Amino acid sequence: MVSPTIAQVLGPLREIVGAKNLLTSASERIVYECDGFVVEKNSPDVVVFPTSTDQVARIVQACNEADIPFLPRGAGTSLAGGCLPVGGGVMIVLTRMKEILEINLRDHYAVVQPGVVNVWLTQALSGSGYHYAPDPSSQSACTIGGNVATNSGGPHTLKYGVTVNHVLGVEAVLADGSIAMIGGPAGEMPGPDLVGALVGSEGTLAIVTRVWVRLTRDPQGYRTMLGIFESVDDATHAISAIIGAGMIPAALEMMDQGILVALEEAFQFGFPLDAQAILLIEVDGLEAGLDTQRDDIIRFCEESGAREVRMAADQQERLKLWKCRKQAFGAIGRLSSSFCTQDGVVPRTQLPNIFKKIQETSEKYDIRIVNVFHAGDGNLHPILLFDERDPDQVRRVMEASGEILEACLEAGGSVTGEHGIGVEKIRYMNKMFRDSDLQAMRQLRDAFNPDNRLSPDKMLPTAGACGMEQTHPGRQAAL
Amino acid sequence: MTTETLSLPLTETATPVDQDELAQQVADCFAGQVPIYPLGGCTSLDYGLTPQQEGIGLSLEKINRLVDFPARDLTLTVEAGMTMATIAELVAEEGLQLPIHVPDAGQASIGGVIATNWNGPARPGYGTIRDYVIGISAVDGKGLPYRGGGRVVKNVAGYDFCKLLTGSLGTLGVITQVTLRLKPIPPQATTLAVPLSDLEQAENLLSGLVDSQATPYAVELLSGEHWQDCPALDTDSPWHLTLSCCGSEEEVSWMVGQLEQELQEQALPAAQQLTDDEHQQLWDELVEFPAGKEDPLVIQATMVPSGTTTFIHEARQLDPACSIQAHAASGIVVVRFAEFPEDGLSRTLVGTLQPVAALAHGNVVILSNPSGREMTARSTWGSIPAPLSLLSRIKNNFDPGNLLNPGRFVYS
Repeated sequence: MVSPTIAQVLGPLREIVGAKNLLTSASERIVYECDGFVVEKNSPDVVVFPTSTDQVARIVQACNEADIPFLPRGAGTSLAGGCLPVGGGVMIVLTRMKEILEINLRDHYAVVQPGVVNVWLTQALSGSGYHYAPDPSSQSACTIGGNVATNSGGPHTLKYGVTVNHVLGVEAVLADGSIAMIGGPAGEMPGPDLVGALVGSEGTLAIVTRVWVRLTRDPQGYRTMLGIFESVDDATHAISAIIGAGMIPAALEMMDQGILVALEEAFQFGFPLDAQAILLIEVDGLEAGLDTQRDDIIRFCEESGAREVRMAADQQERLKLWKCRKQAFGAIGRLSSSFCTQDGVVPRTQLPNIFKKIQETSEKYDIRIVNVFHAGDGNLHPILLFDERDPDQVRRVMEASGEILEACLEAGGSVTGEHGIGVEKIRYMNKMFRDSDLQAMRQLRDAFNPDNRLSPDKMLPTAGACGMEQTHPGRQAAL
Repeated sequence: MTTETLSLPLTETATPVDQDELAQQVADCFAGQVPIYPLGGCTSLDYGLTPQQEGIGLSLEKINRLVDFPARDLTLTVEAGMTMATIAELVAEEGLQLPIHVPDAGQASIGGVIATNWNGPARPGYGTIRDYVIGISAVDGKGLPYRGGGRVVKNVAGYDFCKLLTGSLGTLGVITQVTLRLKPIPPQATTLAVPLSDLEQAENLLSGLVDSQATPYAVELLSGEHWQDCPALDTDSPWHLTLSCCGSEEEVSWMVGQLEQELQEQALPAAQQLTDDEHQQLWDELVEFPAGKEDPLVIQATMVPSGTTTFIHEARQLDPACSIQAHAASGIVVVRFAEFPEDGLSRTLVGTLQPVAALAHGNVVILSNPSGREMTARSTWGSIPAPLSLLSRIKNNFDPGNLLNPGRFVYS
């Protein structure tokens, strides 16, 4: 049953995008009821697939005229409910705006539409000597528009930074339906850094319709190592030793035994199943310095008690290692039918303590937890395994998750390093920030989105409530 | 610097001792609708339009303490009044650096550097200040203290006030405390100076660098009288392109060899590798050049790098005696005019140089104009690449009384 308000906007929307770019039937809309955070679900009333900025602007204007909420969506790989249509409304799916509009190597930038899949840009640049640095693990599916919305990270952020460090400018449709150019290929411009403020705003400030991204010179070479440790403590000490010595590896990832077993079963890489932790360490840059860096890292690992440090023999082996790492979450299904991933961050030197806390929490709640960390950044991904048919396990997973995130905050960290707040973590915003901080955030949102029709009920707790009540942990499919 | 010498319409200057007192003073000003001029190191007060409304100076001089320095986490938390030189000294003890290089570092405060988005020659290797601020505290125009980010290097919780306040010129809040990420100091750094006879050679060299395997952290194109007196450079050449490289001994030595070979292959003049002293001396000059307060007009253009040499050509047409520094790999050109342009700023900047920069997706702003002549919104700020209506709504929400640095930036 279509509500009268929605019925009012259907005609204009059909006229703007055409019947083939509009979904109204329940069976088609259900695909868009959630992102990778599957706990909370709600179908949008209408789904539209614009193919131009002008269409996006007209859709927004039509929604405003009918007083209907609207929100953007990319590939839906986000993990915190950022594109959950709370309260329904019109979902603007940008995956049909998928052109790479320009690649300019002389000036180190590319211009893309928001629906371009992250890895397409990598592929288009292959052989050019340049690349787009942010490479989230979901890069073969996620879109650059979505990366901008969530300020995506990935395994290589330690050296190269996150999405915001690589976005020079955007074209965006504002909440009133006007089209704004903010920043541009030259990057630095006078005045407040609105491009930086838009990146990571989870679709609550504007709908990005074009992105100028910075291109980075390809490194001349790589050295990729696998440090094998008898204990997680030893592995975390090796991380501190490497960073403390003034080295910034391109990536520094940790996986514990629990996840190794699943990975080995899935990919048969040859991971030692009796190791308690492995570090996947990659240095890149000029060939001239790489062997010295490799030797130093091997030494630091050995001094920290590594049983063995293996080297990726060639590019093929290196890519296989990264494939294992990036698909780690896909392998979890082999361990448990349901799982819940957290995204806390702690100062890097707190890793041994937080890992101990995770182990204690696992024992306290009798919930198995396996770990894959962006260790160099102090970004944890503890994965809580459970059976969602058992309400008591569900409750224990919720409590254990909360305890881990609280411990991250106590250690001076954050409840989210790269997944975002969305709807999932709204309840933690009051713990991370003071009322005055949240008020300032509302001041910013209200300047962009005064009627709060654009993606309402996200990121910021509403007065008198802390977002949606969460009754079930997230079963998340990718990182 | 005493506040009496400042070019601001100050009735008095307050020097709060801590962040709470500062917030209270802002709240009091809001209650009384008194304009506030935040004062860090007072090194960039010439940047932007000259405020006209009388108000109080709010000095961060005493809000300059170290809050936390967990060196092994590569982060530093300090109050916003700490100077860049103090930060550099503090973190160097642990082999670390904040690789943002600004003039008058002994005076310039970190809060001011963020508020003005001031960045030096090392952009190609290290990026800009926006890449280093991971946590920020500020007080808005109503006296509301707010913060964003945190103390960890990766964090996407909430809106990113670190970015919003970068370049905000004290108009959206008085920055009171920041957390910065740091980088290790590389073991070695050196500079190759290439003497060039004309801009065409410079263009060829810069185009060639796009495919170079070497990764210099600074690429500077220099010309004009100022550089004729620089002992580190060959004084017979009208143009100099300097390439600074850093890293391990092996990396630096490889890059020097590689760049020398590439120059030879392109039939460009041979590079001279500076001694360590010359490298440091030149670096200091490169960092200090944009201050140029004794000059009648200093401007900064920002554009895509391929537009750099065309822009320089146009600037020299207007003032053949000007001195120029281009962060050429980043598309930034600083021009110190020898004379105030006879044709006035509306012709020189608005009519000529701003359109040239715009052709390369860029803009031109005034860094200093001691005479104060013709400082219109357009000549001072050029064309802002964001809707003014949106900027103004943000300004209004954070500073409804328009009390924070009124008149400095363009808000409609």
